[in-house]
Amino acid sequence: MRNPTESSNSNTPRTQSAAQGGSWRSVWLIYRREMLDQLRDRRTLFTIAILPILLYPLLGMVLLQIAQFKRESPISVCVLGRDHLDVPTALFEADSFAEGLDEGGGKIELIHYDWGTIKLGREVQEETSGWIQDGRFDLVLVIPPEFLDHSARTTQEVANLQLYYDVTSDESRVARARVIAILNQWQSRWVRGELAATGIEESVLNPFRLDEVDVAPQQSKSAAFWSKMLPFIMLVWALTGAFYPAIDLVAGEKERGTLETLLCSPASRAEIVWGKLCAVTTASMSTAVLNCSSMLVTSSLIFKQIPLGSGAAVGAPPLVPMLWLLIALVPLSFLFSAVALAAAALAKSSKEGQYYLMPLMMITLPLVLIPMLPGIELSAGTSLIPVTGMFLLVRSLVEGDYLVAALHVPMVLGVTTLCLWLAMNWAKRQFEDEAVLFGSQEPFDLRLWLMRAWIQREAVPSRAVSYFCGAVILVALFFAKLSGGEMPEDGFGFAKMVLYPQLMFILVPAIAFALLCSRKPLRALKVKRVGFGTLATAFALGVLFHPTYLMLSELVTTLYPVSEQATEAMKPISEQISQLPWGLVVLLIAVTPAICEELAFRGLIFSGLERNGQHWGAMVITALLFGASHGVLQQSICATVMGLVLGWVAYRTGSVLPGMLIHFANNAMSASLERLASGQVPGAAILFDVSEDSLRYQTWWVILSVVLSLVSFWILNRTHQANGMDAKARDASLPVPEAVNDQEQSETLALTKS
Amino acid sequence: MIEVTNLSKVYPDSSRGDFLAVDNVSFQVRAGEIFGLLGANGAGKTTVLRILSTVLSPTSGQAAIAGHDVVGHPELVRRHIGFVSNNTAIYDRMTALEMVQHFGQLHGMNRSEVTLRCDELFRQLRMEDFRDVLGAKMSTGMQQKVSIARALVHDPPVLIFDEATLGLDVLVARNLLNIVRDLRTAGKCLIFSTHIMSEVERLCDRIAIMHQGRILDTGTLRELKERHGEEDFEELFFSLLSEHERGQSASVPAEVPG
Repeated sequence: MRNPTESSNSNTPRTQSAAQGGSWRSVWLIYRREMLDQLRDRRTLFTIAILPILLYPLLGMVLLQIAQFKRESPISVCVLGRDHLDVPTALFEADSFAEGLDEGGGKIELIHYDWGTIKLGREVQEETSGWIQDGRFDLVLVIPPEFLDHSARTTQEVANLQLYYDVTSDESRVARARVIAILNQWQSRWVRGELAATGIEESVLNPFRLDEVDVAPQQSKSAAFWSKMLPFIMLVWALTGAFYPAIDLVAGEKERGTLETLLCSPASRAEIVWGKLCAVTTASMSTAVLNCSSMLVTSSLIFKQIPLGSGAAVGAPPLVPMLWLLIALVPLSFLFSAVALAAAALAKSSKEGQYYLMPLMMITLPLVLIPMLPGIELSAGTSLIPVTGMFLLVRSLVEGDYLVAALHVPMVLGVTTLCLWLAMNWAKRQFEDEAVLFGSQEPFDLRLWLMRAWIQREAVPSRAVSYFCGAVILVALFFAKLSGGEMPEDGFGFAKMVLYPQLMFILVPAIAFALLCSRKPLRALKVKRVGFGTLATAFALGVLFHPTYLMLSELVTTLYPVSEQATEAMKPISEQISQLPWGLVVLLIAVTPAICEELAFRGLIFSGLERNGQHWGAMVITALLFGASHGVLQQSICATVMGLVLGWVAYRTGSVLPGMLIHFANNAMSASLERLASGQVPGAAILFDVSEDSLRYQTWWVILSVVLSLVSFWILNRTHQANGMDAKARDASLPVPEAVNDQEQSETLALTKS
Repeated sequence: MIEVTNLSKVYPDSSRGDFLAVDNVSFQVRAGEIFGLLGANGAGKTTVLRILSTVLSPTSGQAAIAGHDVVGHPELVRRHIGFVSNNTAIYDRMTALEMVQHFGQLHGMNRSEVTLRCDELFRQLRMEDFRDVLGAKMSTGMQQKVSIARALVHDPPVLIFDEATLGLDVLVARNLLNIVRDLRTAGKCLIFSTHIMSEVERLCDRIAIMHQGRILDTGTLRELKERHGEEDFEELFFSLLSEHERGQSASVPAEVPG
């Protein structure tokens, strides 16, 4: 063989010039390759292109067939006792209903019997019920013998006409509606006849007429339907269309071993992520657009064929406003693709990747479903919800409410950009994380895992334990809330309602996990002594932060107003708070949560999550869990912010105790606001501005408290800088030999025992 | 060309405790030399080479290729190396030519440069008859050749072969060794990692024996044999290993779990 590299005469690669090529070139090359790869994959092609093109016409065909079948299948009606119809206005003519009574389309198969002609083995009711139940007729109309008696018709119940039908059968319900309409027509014809006979004007019956006029323009009428349906369908497809390529592009590449080939090419991680992200977005957008256009074409053809009852409102979608939807699709597709890419990077194989679709859908679907709820409109509050805001913005644009849309554009764009940035960073971090890229997959053995978890438990719980504890607390609280629906009527009931979940579902799990999953339970719960100065500062911070907290909760309730129902439901609680002795209220609302919630959230969960120096991640996650543990949305948002503050203090001081004091002070202030303002504590009243229906802090105090709380933050930050450094140094160091030794010894012990 | 100094790598593992995969490893490789990295599976060879190819980052220590630090300038390092390992597969849905061209372009070569270089490489590696075959339809030997062409396309001064003969039949493996020798003749700097001793004996100019993340000894075959007074290479290897393990259990407490 000849020398493969004989042409080179130096030790420098041929590609020095490439450095100037710019990173977009690499992104484009990777994008092009991924697209080529996807286009050569039969499965992708099928789901992205062929399925939608075929799916909707096929569905449409089936629909048409069913409609055809429906129209052709006649309703069968049986009339029993036709001979009892001795009345001036005829219900029947020959073998059908009288001319002009039946207005609905479709055929009615009418069979009638005279009263005496058929032998009834049982009672009439039993017999006719039997006919309907075994499907012989859809409906039976019984005209009893008493109907003949003119005077009995309106006075005696036995003379009533009887309509037998089966509410569980569609045909029977259709027949019922048809026959009732016919009977109504018959009745009014009869009345008109009687009136004419006695010489009374018909206008006595209908002194006036009513015209209903829908002022919505035709465009927005059809838009109303499509602007709800189409974004929903489009987003669901955009998500699905992003997911499968994302799995193939990351988890699939890991599985096939080509990811490492790419990683050791000159393309940087960021370029790889961008290239792949663009490819996934392209797939996602094509899926969404192809599906929607195929559905639009098919459905507009079908709606022409089948005039629906309310069909006038549907019609063909207005095409030009739909362009807004296309524009909105770009950022949302990007967002879904970035999330899908990051999630797929967690998977080691395509099969594992498939499992992540469900949770991802569960998180995204509510965001897409909220706008479908009745009464949800674009507002300051809804525009802040990711995806939902964009969806509602598009709807406003499609419906032509340009002013409302323009007003909310900055917020929607801001939220969407933020989400995009977060998702992008997440995806990029996945590609920089060695554990994610090269983590090996081991078969899972529960028994072995539990044994290991017990033997090798460390001083603080693992991240998994922290997450698990958080999940246990949330689930337990959820069920507790569902089962204990009653509002307390007395002080005892109130105490039970507050104490029970706090102790049973927050404190007990935290302590149990600390005892079971860590070697040093006190350290796991972050119970560590801190100086008196810190405690005092923390308590002061709790009091000083309260005005800010109140402002925050006011802001939140303006953005997301509390429903009247909820306010009503909260009433007994606030009544209890104002009636019970102050000491008890503080014990229940301030002391208990401060101890239970802090030990759980800032204690056990935080200490597990902040391993490997991930303090900021721990702060955010515990804050979110803490927020979620508060049942009402408005409370949850405020609690999340509070959680961030408490998390920061827990990180800085390394202890749960200052957080407890802040939590206690804050809750105690909330519980005693009214008492303080009404002058029960001397001097406190000057802080408040009491008016008819509201209770506020004085403006000067709000400003002063903000300044003072910033000072408290600064003090805590300064005094505990050393602690932060300590933690970092500890995290950076290699495993301590002593600990390893210790661990090994216990392992050998366990082995000899077994 | 390659300078590795006190390199260590720890894999964090929350269920079993941190795993020290590479422990204070140092070596140099010059241009025109084949450096053999010999060790059993799990000795840490792949981790060292992955750090050199900048796919993994070291926990401590330095590594530089052609004067570029793997942590400071990973993109420059990647431009100067060709990396072939049994973990770097080729794309199923691309032909041989497309695959090599794609990586050539990623290295910043323009279309005409890539075409010329591909013609040259495909001729030299005798790959012309399957240049338009999709990766999925190639035999293992063909795939290996495409991998090599992919690594050589930008004509790098440093080439890293990690267990490259794994899973190849005798003929293909022999072919690969010939290619590696030719590359040495061309003045390239080569690292060749394997667990097969005969390959090291026949191919490498200098050898490092790795075990449990450490390099036990480095030198030419002759030097090693003289130093340990053992003519048979296999015997030498095992005596080194058992010596290491004896020394470890006697003095230092095991710092390397697993």
